[in-house]
Amino acid sequence: MTFAPFVLATALSMAGVLPIGKPAPESNIKMKNALDGKSISIADVTGKAGTLVIFTCDHCPFARGWEGRIVELGNAYVKKGIGVILINANDPAEHQEDGVAGMQARAKGANMQIPYVVDETSNVARAFGATVTPEVFLFDRHGKLAYHGTVDDNLKQPDQVQKHYLKDALDAVVAGKPPALPETKSLGCGIKYRPSS
Amino acid sequence: MLGAMINGWLALATTALATVSPAAPAGPPTAGAPAPTLAELPEILTAVRSPGARAVLVNVWATWCDPCRQEMPELIRFYRDHREDGLRLVLVSADDEENRAQVAQVLAEAGLPADTLSFIKRGDDMKFIDGLDRHWSGALPASFLFDGRGRKRRTWLGPVTYHSLELGAGRLLTAPVTPAPQPGRRRP
Repeated sequence: MTFAPFVLATALSMAGVLPIGKPAPESNIKMKNALDGKSISIADVTGKAGTLVIFTCDHCPFARGWEGRIVELGNAYVKKGIGVILINANDPAEHQEDGVAGMQARAKGANMQIPYVVDETSNVARAFGATVTPEVFLFDRHGKLAYHGTVDDNLKQPDQVQKHYLKDALDAVVAGKPPALPETKSLGCGIKYRPSS
Repeated sequence: MLGAMINGWLALATTALATVSPAAPAGPPTAGAPAPTLAELPEILTAVRSPGARAVLVNVWATWCDPCRQEMPELIRFYRDHREDGLRLVLVSADDEENRAQVAQVLAEAGLPADTLSFIKRGDDMKFIDGLDRHWSGALPASFLFDGRGRKRRTWLGPVTYHSLELGAGRLLTAPVTPAPQPGRRRP
């Protein structure tokens, strides 16, 4: 039996994820808001206190599980000067629920008052190095990435959350301080990128 | 030696299934596939580091994850072709505990051999993710290759194929088994 040489490269690598302290890439790309059909960019929603960018989707049990908390935090912190945008970079050819109709249905059901846009090429997600849904990127008032990671430490039982990672980071950014825990992780669904053009 | 190796880790599989999570209820009967056991990272790493394998392939998956289910036949075919070369397969499901029956059913339908170690992950996500690979974002599926001494040698982020597994694991499976150092003894 013969084998080809040991290959060290990986198909995807977290080495490509946006580092803490960096500005949002591709922030001027216009993306269609599933709620009203208008095209907006990350730059368009930039808040005075900071900007929250979350890659999420509709088919993923993890994204669905945190959806209520994401919308609740987004709706609340817009009022505190945080610009918020949710981005769906999944290829709907992989999951029909991730198409615009599915996004509209979930947004209405969740009382979403923040933009939920389609990354039509998945290139915004690629530029961020986002690989999982949901994946949070929170930028401070100077436009620098202050927090990257997940929402909290308990997907299934919101009433038993011990560590409110995103809420704590939002409070810090609103107060003009760096989050105590700038990077966190959770299991999630791999982003189904559209084919590269 | 090969027979002893296989017998050794068949015993490990039996022991793990019986003892890793004593509180776990018995899984549903399946056609040869192992009932998944509830386990946190230390118990999973114990299964990885137990002696007797040339290479240990850990795959993290979930029943609702389409790419995970799509890669499962490739994983199983690779395992069937190489378990006599010293490959151990450890499957870790990210499903909820109450989905144990569904996990077992998916594995049974995929034809998973009974000597595979099958777990449902419990405990803190960050510790689990960083304990397997600190460069892993937590996206499913993901696979990790360890050598016979429990050292991680390779990570696949995203679905694997038979060919990619062969490229990654081939050298380990043809290498001689090196005994793990004894605790408290210095290497010469």
